[in-house]
Amino acid sequence: MNRIYQFIDERLHLGPLISEIANHPVPDHANLLKTPKAIIYCFGGMVFFILLLQVLTGVFLMFYYVPSPDHAYASVTYIRQETAFGGLLQSVHRVGASAAVVMVMLHMLRVVLTGSYKNPRELNWVVGVFLLLLVAGFSFTGYLLPWDQKAYWATTVGVNMIAGIPLIGGFLADALRGGSEVGALTLTRFFVIHVMVLPALLTIFLAAHFFMIRRQGISRPL
Amino acid sequence: MDSEEKKNLPRRKFFINGIKAVVGFFGLSLSIPLAGFFISPVLKKNAPGWIEIADVPALTAGEPVGITYKYARKDGWEMSEIRKTAFVLKQADGNIAAFSNRCTHLGCGVTWDPAARRFKCPCHGGVFDAQGKVLEGPPPKPLAQLAVKVEANKIFINEA
Repeated sequence: MNRIYQFIDERLHLGPLISEIANHPVPDHANLLKTPKAIIYCFGGMVFFILLLQVLTGVFLMFYYVPSPDHAYASVTYIRQETAFGGLLQSVHRVGASAAVVMVMLHMLRVVLTGSYKNPRELNWVVGVFLLLLVAGFSFTGYLLPWDQKAYWATTVGVNMIAGIPLIGGFLADALRGGSEVGALTLTRFFVIHVMVLPALLTIFLAAHFFMIRRQGISRPL
Repeated sequence: MDSEEKKNLPRRKFFINGIKAVVGFFGLSLSIPLAGFFISPVLKKNAPGWIEIADVPALTAGEPVGITYKYARKDGWEMSEIRKTAFVLKQADGNIAAFSNRCTHLGCGVTWDPAARRFKCPCHGGVFDAQGKVLEGPPPKPLAQLAVKVEANKIFINEA
């Protein structure tokens, strides 16, 4: 193990890169070991941890899931009842989705209450709001995928809200559904948005979020 | 190396080991369910097992009877109904044998010709005797024998 690392390090000089990423002091007010109330600075990290867990469980669920009205419900039932740990993974993915939203809210509450969104960190707040929208998008599209009654009607209601937008609402709703009703085309659209489009955007925005926090440092409390 | 740095080294080592332990713990507790989830269909047995297809008293010795039977095949979340035909033969000594009706040449369904006492394949003229042995034509092997068991005068064949 060590020799493999040495082989790579000799050629690519990873040492400085790793210390650039990992070797930086955490300010006392955000250090859990020094101030227990620094827990409020952990919510963002918890969101990231949950998102990693969501990606991991999501990738594995895709081994069995089929985004087609004929098979979606049956494949989810198969995951839950016939595979080893399938019920666990699906539950982790489902509960994790809720936990991510809760943690995002707590994280944003902390940022608001400590005034961390103010100059010079306005841009990171804006990126954060986009991340909030992405998490909401994940929740909305993921909710349809089990293709049960709750999924179907939640999506019907959700898309009808979009139809309420004046002038373009009806067109937007139809574009999202792939027609005038929630059906086979809606399912494949939501699936691709859920597993391809949103993760790509999430990666980009998270990278920007992390780049800015490292560049600007953690804000001091007021 | 000044004294401050010296004092910090064990602390640094402690944290590096701590991080390794935490990552290892999460990695292990995740990898077991994930690997099990991925591999579990491979370890599952889906064979329908023994299927009842006929009664012994209904058979005449030496006369193969074609019986079409159905069973549900499970392919992941997909269930499909399979229809197959087997020829059941009561031997002179009372033992039961069963043959697949698939010709061993290219898989066409053979039929029993009672007058000629032969299995005949309609596709390329393969001919088998009542025991499934090749008599004429291109088939390379005798008709496949199926695993048979008799319980309380009922005949079961095994679909593996």
